[in-house]
Amino acid sequence: MDLSFSTEQENFRKEVRNFLRDNLKPNISSKMKLGILLSKDEIESWHNTLNEKGWLAGSWPKKYGGQGWGVIESFIFEEECSAVGAPRILPFAFNMLAPVLMAFGSDKQRDYWLPRMLNGDDWWCQGYSEPGSGSDLASLKTSASREGNHYIVNGQKTWTTLGQHANMIFCLVRTSTKGKPQEGISFLLIDMNSDGIEVRPLRTIDGEHEINEVFLTNVKVPIENLVGEENKGWTYAKYLLAHERTGIANVGLSKRRIGELKQLASETKKDGKPLIQDPIFAARVAKTEIDLANLEITNLRILSRAQEGGSPGPESSILKILGSEIGQEIDSLTRRALGRRATIHVPNILDYGYNGPNISPINTATAAGVYFNNRKTSIYGGSNEIQKNIISKAVLEL
Amino acid sequence: MDFSLSSERQILFDTLTKYFRNEYSLERRNEAASSDLGFSRDSWESIASLGVFDALLKPELGGFGGDPIDIITVFETIGSGLVIEPILNSVLMSSMILSHGSEQQKAISQAVLAGEARPIFAHFEDLEQYEIHSVETQSTESGNAFIVNGTKSAVRHLVGACHLIFSARTSKTSNGKDGVSLFVIPLETNGLTFETFESIDGGRVSDVTFSNVRINKNSLIGKKDQAISIISEAIDTGTLALCAEALGIMERIKDITLNYLKTRKQFGVPIGKFQTLQHRMTQLFIEIEQTRSAIMNASFWFNDSVETRKKYLSAAKYTVGRVGALVAEESIQMHGGMGMTWEYDLGHFAKRLIMINHEFGDEDHHLNYYAKFSS
Repeated sequence: MDLSFSTEQENFRKEVRNFLRDNLKPNISSKMKLGILLSKDEIESWHNTLNEKGWLAGSWPKKYGGQGWGVIESFIFEEECSAVGAPRILPFAFNMLAPVLMAFGSDKQRDYWLPRMLNGDDWWCQGYSEPGSGSDLASLKTSASREGNHYIVNGQKTWTTLGQHANMIFCLVRTSTKGKPQEGISFLLIDMNSDGIEVRPLRTIDGEHEINEVFLTNVKVPIENLVGEENKGWTYAKYLLAHERTGIANVGLSKRRIGELKQLASETKKDGKPLIQDPIFAARVAKTEIDLANLEITNLRILSRAQEGGSPGPESSILKILGSEIGQEIDSLTRRALGRRATIHVPNILDYGYNGPNISPINTATAAGVYFNNRKTSIYGGSNEIQKNIISKAVLEL
Repeated sequence: MDFSLSSERQILFDTLTKYFRNEYSLERRNEAASSDLGFSRDSWESIASLGVFDALLKPELGGFGGDPIDIITVFETIGSGLVIEPILNSVLMSSMILSHGSEQQKAISQAVLAGEARPIFAHFEDLEQYEIHSVETQSTESGNAFIVNGTKSAVRHLVGACHLIFSARTSKTSNGKDGVSLFVIPLETNGLTFETFESIDGGRVSDVTFSNVRINKNSLIGKKDQAISIISEAIDTGTLALCAEALGIMERIKDITLNYLKTRKQFGVPIGKFQTLQHRMTQLFIEIEQTRSAIMNASFWFNDSVETRKKYLSAAKYTVGRVGALVAEESIQMHGGMGMTWEYDLGHFAKRLIMINHEFGDEDHHLNYYAKFSS
């Protein structure tokens, strides 16, 4: 057994670190560290920076414009990005849709859509969940019926992350009501500028606008926008889920945030002494740090297995559960560390033109908002309850 | 032994519950909570006209209630209505503190009852979490005046107040527990500056800075250097009230979540049919019952010795902090995405419930206190 990375991998880590040092703008990393939502321009600008280096889709095969990174290289890249507060590459195009197109799309679709992703020509969002179909995704009702060379799509999608910026959406739609619900689902690519599409904002409990509802009324979609075969969409969606998992444990992010938490708890005071010296609070931090140290190895164990055998498989549900729970515990401790001042909520603290008072420590401005916003992490992408169902069935065979 | 409310208190409870349910809509509450003032003057007046202030204050303070049981009765309804108006600080705690003052100072709390004044009490400072005797704001005697320097931090509902009641150190002592005095001054006093922020659970919160603020000697409330016990009693009362507010919120969250479990269908059945959710909801129910017991216990011992009062209060506030986080987090999780949306009621209750843990000591603070008092 050897838990260390290879020399090659360590060299790659140094290269990533140097690149980030030279290219990541301080105002962007500050926003990321405060959990502030980036603007469309800021996200696109970071994507462009990575694309120039060839790292926007590092895990893609070289023939599609990627670097052919294995899961360990992807892990190192994500860890280094998290450590310095680089924006996360939006997963919708690069980690979700692209693997499906590579595996099941036509040559024409791959040749057209993949370069556009790298060049930033399209902003993709995901159309899976519906108001009546959350955990029970296969019950989805948005219908697509064939009329000549088009599908006519009717229905409603929800929880559409950053859909307000998107010009394209990949959707699961119902093309058949025969047989099991899973057997009548197709995978469609839909232009958000089509007639009959309306995007309505959904504000989250912290007041942010990140998610949306998407209403589709008689939307005409050319049949060449069907991915793979009709009624096979469920298989593709499951394939997609298995491919969004390398960064799901958020080890790098949580490591950085525990460091920030300890710094914060050395500034706030309990009975005149630094809070971090309080045995109860110190124990809470220590427990979380131990959970994270354990997760780091669990994560690498699962990723190494995936390196050999392709996709991470159902064990990756472990990573989703632990990654979200540990992240949420750090959110909770950060909020607790601020004591009475945690209630202060100034999400626009880093906005250009902000002329309100300074706040020290600066994470006071967003800590409670981030805590509430991140309750989503144990809900989205298949809730932790669904992840547990997957482990019980697929791993433990209960 | 009798766990029921007296008929008068039951009527008060029912009246307030009905008022907050029917007249005090969440939509209007949220609108007021995000206004510059942070609450609604109209609602403030309506609540006053229902006799809430009188019910909270002892006869010697001009009310007709003020027993611990009155306080928890009123504040449970305030929680279930998610009331944002500053009743706890401006009515209950301020009046308790002003009752130790001169006739002129007592007149301020008379004006509160008449709906003509709204003082605000500011005590905690800077990055200190919750320790009552950690006061570093200095008030130095200089002839006929005191000169005040320092800060008070994260004062809820300061905006729009008429008077500022504050604590300051008037003598250095070795243990820090004596040497603190209380003062009341008009909010518009030279040298006082404010920085105001939005609060995550609604309303406004302000930092107050004193820069060589010269105040008249008769601003002192009661005896110099002897204020910690007055502050402590007001904060203990406030803590009991907050516990009851949290309980009212938990009961509402329980209702909202139960309704969702019974009506939201996935996989062809209401999600409440899934055993994993049944057990989690049952656990919340059990913990909320335990919280109610903790608060009853705290109110029962409230007028006993200070040590006994503080011990059971810490037990209650610890329970409220621990269970509050559990109820808020689990209820959101059981709702799924719906629980994350602004338009749905739950999140607003959950935010307030979590933030109650950040006033007058969180669960760790009170666990530690309890251990001290029970050893």
